[in-house]
Amino acid sequence: MKFTFKGGIHPYEGKELTEEKDVIDYLPQGDMVYPLSQHIGAPAKPIVKKGDRVLAGQLIAEAAGFVSANIHASVSGTVKTIEPRLTSSGSKVNSIIIENDKQYETLAYTPNDKPLDELTREEVIDAIQKAGIVGMGGAGFPTHVKLSPKNLDDIDFIIVNASECEPYLTSDYRRIIDDSDKVIEGLRIVLAIFPNAQGIIAVEDNKPKAIKLLQDKLAGDARIRVNAMPTKYPEGAERQLIFANTGRYINSSMLPADAGCIVHNVDTVYAICEAVREGKPLTERLVTVSGDAIKNPCNIRMKIGTNYQELIDCAEGFSKDPAKLVAGGPMMGKAIYTTDIPATKSSSAILALSEDAVAEMEPSACIRCGRCIEVCPGRVMPNKLATLAARNDIDAFVKNNGMECCECGCCSYVCPARRHLTQMIAGTRKLVLANKKK
Amino acid sequence: MAELNLKISSSPHVRSKDTTSDIMFDVMVALMPALGFGLYLHGWYVLLLTAVCMLTCVGVEALFQKGMHRKVTVNDYSAALTGLLLALNLPPKLPVWMAVLGSAFAIIVVKQLFGGLGQNFMNPALGARCFLLLSFSKYMTSFVYDGVSTATPLAILKNGGSVSIRDMFFGYTAGTIGETSTIALLVGAAYLLIRRVISPKIPLIYIGTFAACIAIYALTKNYDVAEYTAAHICGGGLMLGAWFMATDYVTSPITPVGKIIYAIILGLLTFVLRIFGGSAEGVSFAIIISNLLVPLIERVTVPKAFGADAKAKGAEDKKEIKQEKEETTAEPEEVDKTAKTPTDFKGVMRAVIAICLITLFMGAALGTVYNITKEPIEKTEQQAKEEAYRKVYPLAYEIVPYSEVYDDVDDAAVLEALNEKIHDAGYTSVTIDEVMVALSDYRAGYVFLVTTSAGYGGDIQFALGITYKKEVTGLTFLKISETAGLGMEVTKPEFVDQFIGRLVSEFELHKGDASEFYQVDAVSGATITSTAVVDAINAVLICVKGEY
Repeated sequence: MKFTFKGGIHPYEGKELTEEKDVIDYLPQGDMVYPLSQHIGAPAKPIVKKGDRVLAGQLIAEAAGFVSANIHASVSGTVKTIEPRLTSSGSKVNSIIIENDKQYETLAYTPNDKPLDELTREEVIDAIQKAGIVGMGGAGFPTHVKLSPKNLDDIDFIIVNASECEPYLTSDYRRIIDDSDKVIEGLRIVLAIFPNAQGIIAVEDNKPKAIKLLQDKLAGDARIRVNAMPTKYPEGAERQLIFANTGRYINSSMLPADAGCIVHNVDTVYAICEAVREGKPLTERLVTVSGDAIKNPCNIRMKIGTNYQELIDCAEGFSKDPAKLVAGGPMMGKAIYTTDIPATKSSSAILALSEDAVAEMEPSACIRCGRCIEVCPGRVMPNKLATLAARNDIDAFVKNNGMECCECGCCSYVCPARRHLTQMIAGTRKLVLANKKK
Repeated sequence: MAELNLKISSSPHVRSKDTTSDIMFDVMVALMPALGFGLYLHGWYVLLLTAVCMLTCVGVEALFQKGMHRKVTVNDYSAALTGLLLALNLPPKLPVWMAVLGSAFAIIVVKQLFGGLGQNFMNPALGARCFLLLSFSKYMTSFVYDGVSTATPLAILKNGGSVSIRDMFFGYTAGTIGETSTIALLVGAAYLLIRRVISPKIPLIYIGTFAACIAIYALTKNYDVAEYTAAHICGGGLMLGAWFMATDYVTSPITPVGKIIYAIILGLLTFVLRIFGGSAEGVSFAIIISNLLVPLIERVTVPKAFGADAKAKGAEDKKEIKQEKEETTAEPEEVDKTAKTPTDFKGVMRAVIAICLITLFMGAALGTVYNITKEPIEKTEQQAKEEAYRKVYPLAYEIVPYSEVYDDVDDAAVLEALNEKIHDAGYTSVTIDEVMVALSDYRAGYVFLVTTSAGYGGDIQFALGITYKKEVTGLTFLKISETAGLGMEVTKPEFVDQFIGRLVSEFELHKGDASEFYQVDAVSGATITSTAVVDAINAVLICVKGEY
């Protein structure tokens, strides 16, 4: 069986820049910024005020409802102010700013060594919720919500998404290589609260070392299997990942749980392990700082809230003038115009590219080559959708499955006419979603 | 910190290297072997013709876009490619001005008037070829091979002759500049496949469907199936069309299923046009007709989105329970279906009605034009006839109807009697349309207007002058649509002159070895046409008593 899907592309991977380098531990020096909205759902409510002294690991903003997440300080210091700050999304978000006292004084955590079969569902969910864990692959969906589907018994698969199909990114790979035990333990904890579920760790076959390591560690484990998927972007897109590994389909109106699946990122399962076993809140993550304009591309274990500039400096700064900085991977990440941005729970990468052809690309007429349709993992017709989007024909856009687009960027990548298909479609999708909310 | 000069754009931030101009350039590169072979076969004039086509296309596009205040986009090479493709579809000796006209037509009428690159509804090069074919059919269908005008292999095949598959495969036959060499075209196609510019789907299904039809046809006709099919695959524009024109992005369906349907239609149409059509070739017309069907094909082959049929786990069970409870209520799915069909049906009906209205309007317009032009056309036809009569009887000072010379004779009655006579003699396919008396001081005689239905490409009508002594004075054709290079050759002096001045009661057809005064040589490769003409002349000869 081949764990794959129809469509997709093979962009330059760029993973060799960082994949075999040791992870660098970085302690931040400057002020820390904690946006109150690092997740999907209601922004967290600050529970500290200006002048308060906080310790690393201390709760500074609490979830404002079920679909929301706690936020903890990752350093010790004093609350400087609470004000809107620019984030990688491009908009200003109300944030708690803490003046770092460089003492890194940490709260004491209470570990939990109960055997897996004695862990209760409430215990696990509570620990995850308290730790403020959200999906660390990029979307930032609160993990405790994901783990509380209505149909608990219908969940057949817990899938750990280790495909890491975005070019340049290697943090998940490093996480598996360095902390495979904790990753596996995290998955086992989740499996413990879903008695009917099987575990799958899905890895792209361009990471043979990770596959080998996991297989060796999981030899004899009947509940968890490691699937080596053919390398292809976007193998890690949730819907495609579920299909590739289970043969089940979901569409835009469904959640993975509707197909009996729950998907977690590697770093998320790692965080689950730390939260449940050590009582540690989510204050750290791995971030890949890479690209041809970075002097020493590497993975950094950093404190959430660290300024991007500090992280770039940690990678020895720029080797040449970057033409473009991207928060996230090159396919779906966002271009940023300043380095004065805080790293958040879902910051997976900072890329500095010395050349950028995209910003100046002049789109030309569609020659109907059909490549966008060939590569579209959502099997929609990007050329048609883009035309409808340009015409602002929202009804026809929805009718032609515009909402099934996952904005993976494959169509724009292949388009020989250099049309900004993904951008046009994504814009209209946002419009449709906004109209729905009204 | 140094000031960063950062660019901002929407994701994705990396793009593949392929651009439109790369694709167009690749196709041009892939056509080089075919062009090279044409050059080798026909000499430098081919290069001139190709250059003229390409330059005209590029120039006209640039001028048009400038004139329309649009961005000039000739650097995407699409116009140059159109020029090259058109050149490869032209006969090697076409006058330059026709090539210029064709190129301008391709770019302005077919491409730019419909919105330029990506918007044209048919392949510009093929549109232009068909335009030239209809406008200058004589030039467009006269092919030269080895300096001699020759029929194409398909035409020979259609006339019952035999061809060398080996020559056809390598390209040593008559045809357009780029279509003859199967191997050169396949090399180009391989290049495109390797470069992933085209997928083999359309060409293979197209050629496969066509070959299957041809093979079945050959079976029913008791031909050598393998040879006949191979000749049809290598012959004509099939290879050039299937690999380079049917795969044209703009004018082929964009949907995966649509491509299959399109290719099958192409195969069927090509078969029908080649076998049952008036011409031996059918690829160009098959492709442009199929091009027109593309929007319709795409409409019905919209791909299903990923997970379109997915249902939430457990949802089905709930639905079933619900159904059990309220058995009378219709299934929600069914409601969806019926709700969807009417809109689609409506759309199709609207399209059908629109097409019908357009057809009606066009029909009415054509009818009006026909009526307006009917009289002048009849006048011209009458003039042509009179001219032909004078030509076949140069000695006559006047050519008049029978009834003018003999008082109590009715022209219609004379015709009826003559036709009865020749039919009784066994010439059933020959009809005498008119008989005239040629008055001459020197030698009087008759002029016959004769039609024979035994030709290859429909009725052949000719005028024949005969003295009362039975000496043929002239022969000229008024209506003939035989195969170019073969049947059409009967109109040439080499054939016609064989009859003139001869005084015989019956001509005998020979194949190249005529020696006696009553024997004539058939046009080689066109036995059917030659026989038809000689039979018709013989039929006329029995109508003239003759005096020796």
